[in-house]
Amino acid sequence: MIPVAKPRSRRLTVIAQDPSIRVDGRVLTTEVEIPAEEIAPGPRGYRVQVVDYDTSGGVLYQPMEYPQLQNGQYGDPFKEDAQRPTNESLIADPRFHQQNVYAIVMKTLARFEFALGRRIGWSFPGHQINVAPHAFADANAFYSKRDQALVFGYFKGLSGQVVFSCLSHDVVAHETTHAILDGLRNRYTDPSSPEQAGFHEGFADVVALLSVFSLTEVVATLLQSGFDKERNRSDLISPEELTIEKLRDSVLLGLAKQMGQEMEGVRGNRAHALRRSVKLRPLTDKDDPKTYAKLEEFQEPHRRGEILVAAMLNAFLQVWRTRITQLERGRPGAGLDLQMVVEQGTDSANQLLTMAIRALDYAPPTDLQFRDYLSALITADKELVPDDSKYEYRKTLLKSFRDYGIKPASFNSADGSWEACNAQLTYDRSHFESLLRDPDEVFRFIWENRQALKLEEHAYTKVTSVRPCLRIAPDGFALRETVAEYIQMVTLQAQELQVFDPPIGKPEGMSPDEEVTLYGGGALIFDEYGRLKYQVFNRINNASLQTPRLKYLWKYGYFADKDDEQSVFARLHLNRALNLTTDASERF
Amino acid sequence: MAPTTGLKPTSLTIRAYQVGFGDCFLLTFEYADAPRKADKKRHILIDFGTTGMPNNVDADGQMMMVARDIEDRCDGKLHVIVVSHRHKDHISGFTTREDGKGTGDVIAGLKPEIVIQPWTEDPKAKDPKKQSAGKSTTDEALAQQEHSLEAQHVSALSNMNALSEAIQFEVSHLTSAKFMKGLRQDLAEQIRFLSDDNGVPNKSAVENLANMGKNHFVNYGYELNLSRLLPGIDFRFLGPPTLKQHAEIKNQSATDKNEFWMLQAAAQQFWSLQAATADMIGGFASGNTRLFPNADVFQDFFPTHNRWFIRQLRALRGDQMLRLVRLLDRAMNNTSVILLLEVGGKKLLFPGDAQIENWEYALHVDKDANLKLLKDVYFYKVGHHGSRNATPKTLWKNFAGKSVDKKKRGGRLQTLVSTMKGKHGHEKSHTEVPRTTLVTELMNLSDYLTTEESALSIDLKLTF
Repeated sequence: MIPVAKPRSRRLTVIAQDPSIRVDGRVLTTEVEIPAEEIAPGPRGYRVQVVDYDTSGGVLYQPMEYPQLQNGQYGDPFKEDAQRPTNESLIADPRFHQQNVYAIVMKTLARFEFALGRRIGWSFPGHQINVAPHAFADANAFYSKRDQALVFGYFKGLSGQVVFSCLSHDVVAHETTHAILDGLRNRYTDPSSPEQAGFHEGFADVVALLSVFSLTEVVATLLQSGFDKERNRSDLISPEELTIEKLRDSVLLGLAKQMGQEMEGVRGNRAHALRRSVKLRPLTDKDDPKTYAKLEEFQEPHRRGEILVAAMLNAFLQVWRTRITQLERGRPGAGLDLQMVVEQGTDSANQLLTMAIRALDYAPPTDLQFRDYLSALITADKELVPDDSKYEYRKTLLKSFRDYGIKPASFNSADGSWEACNAQLTYDRSHFESLLRDPDEVFRFIWENRQALKLEEHAYTKVTSVRPCLRIAPDGFALRETVAEYIQMVTLQAQELQVFDPPIGKPEGMSPDEEVTLYGGGALIFDEYGRLKYQVFNRINNASLQTPRLKYLWKYGYFADKDDEQSVFARLHLNRALNLTTDASERF
Repeated sequence: MAPTTGLKPTSLTIRAYQVGFGDCFLLTFEYADAPRKADKKRHILIDFGTTGMPNNVDADGQMMMVARDIEDRCDGKLHVIVVSHRHKDHISGFTTREDGKGTGDVIAGLKPEIVIQPWTEDPKAKDPKKQSAGKSTTDEALAQQEHSLEAQHVSALSNMNALSEAIQFEVSHLTSAKFMKGLRQDLAEQIRFLSDDNGVPNKSAVENLANMGKNHFVNYGYELNLSRLLPGIDFRFLGPPTLKQHAEIKNQSATDKNEFWMLQAAAQQFWSLQAATADMIGGFASGNTRLFPNADVFQDFFPTHNRWFIRQLRALRGDQMLRLVRLLDRAMNNTSVILLLEVGGKKLLFPGDAQIENWEYALHVDKDANLKLLKDVYFYKVGHHGSRNATPKTLWKNFAGKSVDKKKRGGRLQTLVSTMKGKHGHEKSHTEVPRTTLVTELMNLSDYLTTEESALSIDLKLTF
């Protein structure tokens, strides 16, 4: 018998958006392609295991079990149910919910691995993330590092129906992104600035929203149903229905629609979608560029993250709209081929999503600001695609970020990219091969060069990762790089902050013997010859960064609540819903 | 009753009862110059409730002893009751029994004339429609919107009570040892304690208070003249602020003047969803139904590879519920009446369990005037059993009577706390009640009294 190669991927039915998005009365579903694997009941695979335990009901539901087919493939038991005239049975079956979360988590993870050209680990010690689709009765869902888990709640909505957060594509993709981002940059969950916490939220929204565009059938259906129900089946679409304003309002660009409707009025829900950041007003020349950053409401991380989402998604709309305009050339006013419009959208979204993910490697590993991320976006893309003239992604991104008051952190380069590392480094005691994969070797390299690399000599220093990666450029050539990151930490008493030059400011009212921890760190990008191309870093001894950070943390009660063991994301979601802030300086 | 205006109290005895974790203070004013014997003493009862007694103390027996003592001291007549807020540790003593032998029956028998409660207890505040006051249409619409939100706020407080009840059901799932170890006992105890205190208040206590005397539902700045009933005693209310008053502070720093109202509405909606979901949990607790009634579940065991995570999930849910009940607790505490009495040239401050958010209005709006007013407070009932959030540092620093000198000229600050250690919070998270750092300050800088060591009560006598 001739051995047959096992399939590399499989397709599974999921809910395209959430159960509220229906076409002809049926819940809109789709099939997603994910890596194939030897799956155990749960589903339980090599990266994800679903455990359907409901703490509020105190029951463990039986797991999804896939019968193996004769050709070595596992089937999709819900494919037929999804296509029936009424497919409500999917909503009533917890095993479908289990499949839905499994497939979306796997798809999101695969998307990151594709963009970065390497495997991605979780931030906790373990290979499989636990996913609880019905963890508790509460309108909340979050990633918990301590529990190595993604947990999804359910609640009774305004309509009286039970709403399952695990059935919302956006919610599942958003929470999965938190977990993946934590695996890539585990210091981004540290208490820092509203911008670092906002980055986690905003980035997760960007990934959730742009991911939808990989599902071309869904995009086509939603574009049609959103604009003109009479011509639902048409292959053509009028250019008038593709203005930036109309696309901004479309169902595609609002996050978590059903949760939004069912939580009408609860904070975070704007215009039916849980968040519609894309509609945030761009600033004009008359506005102070720091308008948003100064406002109290934008000190809350989700709200702050909306600035990032608005900048990214409006850049996407701009690129998409430009490409639609190119389709219109020579045929003014004529209907456009819907499939071509959708393809332009999915291409643009995919490219931006890949850029957004790759930029992480070029971002400082601690105390991230949006301006750092913008420089990282530009640099990562420039390395792979030096010529931006075709669709002008980078130019569009720079303008869109500027519209929201964000300028690149790197102001010495003309295009906002990071400056190449020009430090006088010694490689004499480093071994090329080891430097590309061994944290100890990289540590030796930075220790030998600690002065040239401007490390804080008295801080605890650790190389947290060394990741060789291979990326394929649009011209077909491969870009080989090694990305390493190091962090630095120093813990001291507040009264010692003044020893830095220039001194770091102690927040007013903070006790002189209060313990504070300062972070610094950098990303090191080595080229294929083992030479350092970029060092993207934040120094511990940086009063302009550390002083406002400590002031912010003091004001919002971090020092009073630092022993709160609850997941940082769970607490964040609750605080946002209730608009909770604490004046910690009044406490004993 | 004979006219008594013009009389002045010659002394005051503050009696703090041992009610474990709770509050109960009887203020007895003496009028030595009153011509009639019946007019020589007047009484104010501030709160009467408990959520836990010291070991070896029978709660029901102790509460009845307190009620009988109040009865004896009042000699058949109580003049005013102040109920700071509806937590059980402040009102459970007003509960009546069908046989008429409850502690609340004893108090009702003293025929109090005035009952003071926070504005959130006003039955009219629950009605979402406000009577037209003949204002212009725009003003009326605005007033209607504000009133409607206040009604929602009151309704949200009820939703919080309902949620607390559901949490009590749910914690029983988490502590169940079926197939595996249950939730950590100390965490479960914390949740139980707070959800019990925040649960639906005993209906009979609420009705008893509503029917005992003329009810005044007060807020910051509420004016109340009781000079006929309690001559020589001034009442001032420094909290709780109404939502409209609270908005004044929040809107000072907002660019959008509607922001506070939108956030307020959002928070109320959150509690409404929580209550609807709590209703569903109630169904699960009965064991008759579950989220997916027709789906198969594990009946006899949990797979070994799931157990670690299930244990984690239970702990996570425990943390989540604890956080929720702490929020409920805080919201309810912040409905507390903050009462400042002035008698015989001395000021006495009874802030109930008011936390920083309640105090915020008094200490921000008319800040200078209020700080001046509070500077020479002579007696301070320590807020919220000595927790870290209920004695704002701005308030504490402002008290001029603080001194290390026990014989301070002009009188050293007198402080009194009704509390019980080990019931609320823990040192590791700096949430222990009473808070160690606060107690240290109280002991060093004031004449400090605590109910912790007393059997029935401790007395503090002031003469004027």
